[in-house]
Amino acid sequence: MTYLFDPDHWRWLGAGKNLEFLLGRFLVNLEIAVICMILSLIVGLFLALARLSKNRAVSVVAGTWIDVWRNLPLIFILLYGLLSLPENLAEAWVRAVPDFFPNALQSRFALAGILGLTVYNSAVLAEIMRAGIKSLERGQGEAAAALGLPYWRSMRLIILPQGLRRMVPATVSQLITLNKDTTLLFIINIQEVMKGGRIVTATSDNPFVGLNVEAPLLQVFVFIGGLFVVVNLALSRLSRRLEIRERARTGTTTEKVSGLEDQVALESDVA
Amino acid sequence: MGDFWEVLVRYLPDFASGFFVTCQLVAVSFLIAMGVGTLVAALRVQPLRGLKLVGGIYVEIFRNVPLLVLVIIFAAGLRRAGFDIPPFAAGTAALGLYTAAYVAESIRSGVFAVGQGQIEASLSLGFTYPQTLRRIVLPQALRTVIPPLGNLIIAMIKNSAVIGATLSLAQDLLKEARLINNKTNLTNESFFWAAVGYLLLTVTATIIVRRLETKLAIRR
Repeated sequence: MTYLFDPDHWRWLGAGKNLEFLLGRFLVNLEIAVICMILSLIVGLFLALARLSKNRAVSVVAGTWIDVWRNLPLIFILLYGLLSLPENLAEAWVRAVPDFFPNALQSRFALAGILGLTVYNSAVLAEIMRAGIKSLERGQGEAAAALGLPYWRSMRLIILPQGLRRMVPATVSQLITLNKDTTLLFIINIQEVMKGGRIVTATSDNPFVGLNVEAPLLQVFVFIGGLFVVVNLALSRLSRRLEIRERARTGTTTEKVSGLEDQVALESDVA
Repeated sequence: MGDFWEVLVRYLPDFASGFFVTCQLVAVSFLIAMGVGTLVAALRVQPLRGLKLVGGIYVEIFRNVPLLVLVIIFAAGLRRAGFDIPPFAAGTAALGLYTAAYVAESIRSGVFAVGQGQIEASLSLGFTYPQTLRRIVLPQALRTVIPPLGNLIIAMIKNSAVIGATLSLAQDLLKEARLINNKTNLTNESFFWAAVGYLLLTVTATIIVRRLETKLAIRR
């Protein structure tokens, strides 16, 4: 206990460039989360539409794809991506990646990281979107058809705007999960905040020393955890507010999506 | 195609032991999550404000912190601080305490789902408070709580892989797949069978949860 509360260990964080370094690395996590969220939303929408397709073959293929990837551990997908990604593809990525992307994404491991996060989260989001669309009364689709709207136009004008609005709170919750999950990129060697924490607290070859104390590993990671708590708390407040507003507006609940921890959070926040 | 079967037949004992370790990790973490989660939920529904706050802070912290951060704090951080915790215990404690926050939330919402009016009605009918809890509140709360808890077990099966990926001594299914991959250089084959193992667990759990959900649904 004395270790945890030793003020020198906490002061170490503020010494030199330690704090600046860690915060910079944390920003990388947030950037990766946003990039992967955008990609996953786009891919997820197509997957959800494919699963809802009237063509049975398309629907079965998309359904299997979604169910396989969302039921596997994310870290499993990331490691598999890292190990199985062809060398030339990784190199092509390093050459093609635009300069305005964060430095951590310029590395050859980054492609596996982004692909893994997107494959997993697009499957999860597809399921959330499908639940949102399915929670609409059947009458909506039938009325659109009765008015003579073709399938795609009724999707675009009637079903999607309503269905997708219902999944906004669940999507924000998934963004929280995604934000937490970016730390797993540490395991596949991407230069994000956990890696930063490891570098600062390394016992050998450590450029980050301050105040003549051994780098306080516990404090550094408690601090990193704190950064996530602050950002995610803000996001969960947002998701809660959206959920309450949505429920007040439509008076309905969306269907549940199994296997998500934040699904539980979402349900209980409103109860 | 031949390689797929060959890898499975040759390394079946390794896959099986990894599968077993994953099950162990999930089982132990789940016990911790249930114990701590129930305690935190109790803190959150009891009337004292100070204790309520403690429960609330626990939930907000452990729900918003990445699991990997917890695993590293429990394994490496506490070791550096002078507590020597065996890796299996550190890993399951991290996963258990992380999930406990979600367990607490689902139990709390289950208790709140039982209307206040029912408790008042039961008390006015002459039931004592413990009787009311046992006969009116808990049977209904349990029904609302079981589906989200099943959901958390599924999430836990997936999250358990984080322990195996971080702590070298916990040789779970993912770790075994990596070791077999190192030995044989057959990435697709070794990861395919590990995926089958994980899907066996998560998909089975999903089906059970869905069954329970329809079976236990209360029509209000």
